[in-house]
This record gives sequence, structure tokens and C-alpha cells, in this order.
Amino acid sequence: MADQDFYRILGVPSTASQEEIQRAYRRLARENHPDVNRDPAAEDRFKDISEAYSVLSDPQTRRRYDAFGPDFRQVPEDADPETWRRARAGAGAGARSRAGAGARAGAGQGGRTSFGFGGGDDIDLDDLLGGLFGGRGGWGPVPGADQSAEIELALEDAYHGGRRTVTVGSGSTQRTLEVTIPPGVTDGQRIRLAGQGGRGSDGAQAGDLYLVARIAPHRIFRLDGRDIHVELRLAPWEAALGTSVAVPTPDGEAKVTVPAGTSSGRRLRLRGRGMPRPRGTPGDLYAEARIMVPSKLSDPERELFEQLAATSDFDPRRRR
Amino acid sequence: MTYAVVRAPRLDLEEFAAAAGLHPELVSRLVALGIIDAARDSAGRLWFSRSQLGDVARVQRLRAGFALNYAATGLVIDLLDRIAVLEAAMRRRARLGGH
Repeated sequence: MADQDFYRILGVPSTASQEEIQRAYRRLARENHPDVNRDPAAEDRFKDISEAYSVLSDPQTRRRYDAFGPDFRQVPEDADPETWRRARAGAGAGARSRAGAGARAGAGQGGRTSFGFGGGDDIDLDDLLGGLFGGRGGWGPVPGADQSAEIELALEDAYHGGRRTVTVGSGSTQRTLEVTIPPGVTDGQRIRLAGQGGRGSDGAQAGDLYLVARIAPHRIFRLDGRDIHVELRLAPWEAALGTSVAVPTPDGEAKVTVPAGTSSGRRLRLRGRGMPRPRGTPGDLYAEARIMVPSKLSDPERELFEQLAATSDFDPRRRR
Repeated sequence: MTYAVVRAPRLDLEEFAAAAGLHPELVSRLVALGIIDAARDSAGRLWFSRSQLGDVARVQRLRAGFALNYAATGLVIDLLDRIAVLEAAMRRRARLGGH
């Protein structure tokens, strides 16, 4: 449910001058206008800001808001603030909390926002704002703006694709969407959801929502476009003699043949085992050799290494 | 979500104005100001594509939201489009791993 403290929405004290209110409104409107800020939550903020400004910019409605609070529109024109406050303190507390709960329930599913008060008539925010974009200057219904939101995916989810539940927006525009992630989504790729963007005014068509995929850093895999890099740890004798080891891939383990004489840094390519590409060649997986030695040697191990050191004339620092 | 099954490939001024919810006069003015593009045939009639309805909607939202005049709206739209192009280029670069 929208915050109903109009001063707090505009970030000004209740003693603010008309000029300060206008300045705060202009700044916030620039930040949150749906054509400037594509965050789905900005649309709701923009509506709140516009609503707050429409009340506070007019000295007369501002006085009534100061006296009676956000429900001032339900208060008769000639009501006395003192009498009103007393009446509300007695009977109003319960009614207000009920109204709050009702308004929250009504705000789901991208529905219309309504301010509830007790059992009385609800005032619809869209009506209050005159359709916001549609009410002035002879404009008809205006379609909604396109929006954009980020969606963070684990590398495995991006690899395999699948269904994902995404919550976008806030307040009355908050909605939960079931999204199909195609296999092989890469970082920064956009997924278009037609008609899920900003709402149009007066029943006009909604804009589109673009989900921008962000692939979360992975514990063992590193992405470079569609290529996947993984570290391949080898014992010195494995690297020297060659071996066959299992390397992890997002699709399970794969066998890789390490040729004899492999040094650290050598990259073994597993063709086509990178990120899949819809209707195209998938990326490759690179396993990069990294030679590890035991941090503590057993006596026989030490003996063997000493023997190797005495026998070998290999000089790793000699440049050819 | 419902989609129109058949779409006219292009709209004339009256059709376009009706679809945008505007007076045809205003649409002509937006074209004259270079805020929306239109094709002009040999008879001097203006033709629009349906995809331009989104452009008009953006003009309306910006104008109402910021109390802009049409010339300023045109400038804002040009700047927003340029930013969108730059952001798309940045996304592409990020996708290619910064190369």
C-alpha cells in the first residue's frame, strides 16, 4: 500500500514552503518518470509523488490535508479539525487498521489502488489523478512505458533454462510473473515479456517488460561469453605422466585426457561443453591445468622427490 | 493478453490519430515538429506504422509528466534514445566479456 504521508513521499518537512515542495516534486519526478527510469518500481513511486504533489501544491487542499490527514477527501468541507480528531480517536482506530488491510489486499495482481476508509466509499487513485497522463490537454488513453528489471540467475539455471518466478514492481504495481528462461542465457541478455511493463491510462495497452539476465558469480566456473572456464588441479606426477580425470561441467562430469608433460596454465578444450546456444553452436569448456603439491610430504614421498631432484636436469626457468 | 489477428501494414492520418487517441491536427503538428516520423505519398498524405503508437504514447507521458512543450519533448526523446543506444552497446560489451 502506498505511503500516505505526502510530505515524507516528497522528502520535505511539513513546514516546507510551496517553492520547496515544487522543487522536491520536480526532482523526484525527473528521477522516477516511467520513460526515464525503467525500474518497474519507479512507476509506483511516480504515481505517489504525483499524488502527493497534487495535494500539497494547492494551498487549500494542503490545509485540509494538514488538518485531516490522508482521508481529508472524506471529511465534509465545513468540518472542524478538533471535533474530527476527537471523533476519530474514539471510533476510528479499528476502522483505520481494517481499511489498511483491505487496501493491501486490493492492491495485489496489478489491480487498481484504492484508499479505503472504514466501510465508506473508496476513492480510486486513478480517478483522483485524472488518469495521470490522460486527463490533461485533450489526450486520450495513453499506453504504458516499457520497463526493465534485472533477474539474477545461477549459472546452472542459465545453462539449463527452465521456469522461474519473478516479482517486479512495488506497491500497487507489484506482480509475480512466471518466466520461461531459455537454455543458454548469457549475462546481459534481455528477455521480453510483452504487455508486462507500465500500465496504460484509461485501459490503454501496457508497455513491455524487459528482464535483463545477470549471471551470478560461480564457485568453480567462470564465464567468458558462452565459454566456461574451470580449474583442473593435477598432482605433479599426473601432469608429468599424463592421465585421464573427471572435470565438473554444469551438465555433470566430463572425462578429460591430460597429455603427458602438461604444465600449469595449459588449457584443455572440451568442444561444445560451454553454454548452449539456441539454434547454434554452443560455447566451449576450458579446463586449465594447475599443478598442486602436497603441503606436507610423507617420508617415502620426500625420498622420491629428492631422488627426482638428483636425477632430473629439468630447469623450469630456462627459456627456449 | 489479446493480439489483433490482422494488422494493417500502415495507417493513414485519421486511423493513426484514432488509434493514438489524438486529434489528427495534433498528429500533423507532431510530424511537422519532427517528433514522430511519417511517410508522405505522392498525393501528400501521411502514413504511419502501428509501431509508432508507442512513440506517441511516450511523447504524451513525457509532456504530461514534466509539463514540457513539444520542442522540448523532442529533445528529451532524442536524448533518451541516444542513452538507450549507449546502454545497449555497454550491455553487448559486457556480454562479450569486456573484449
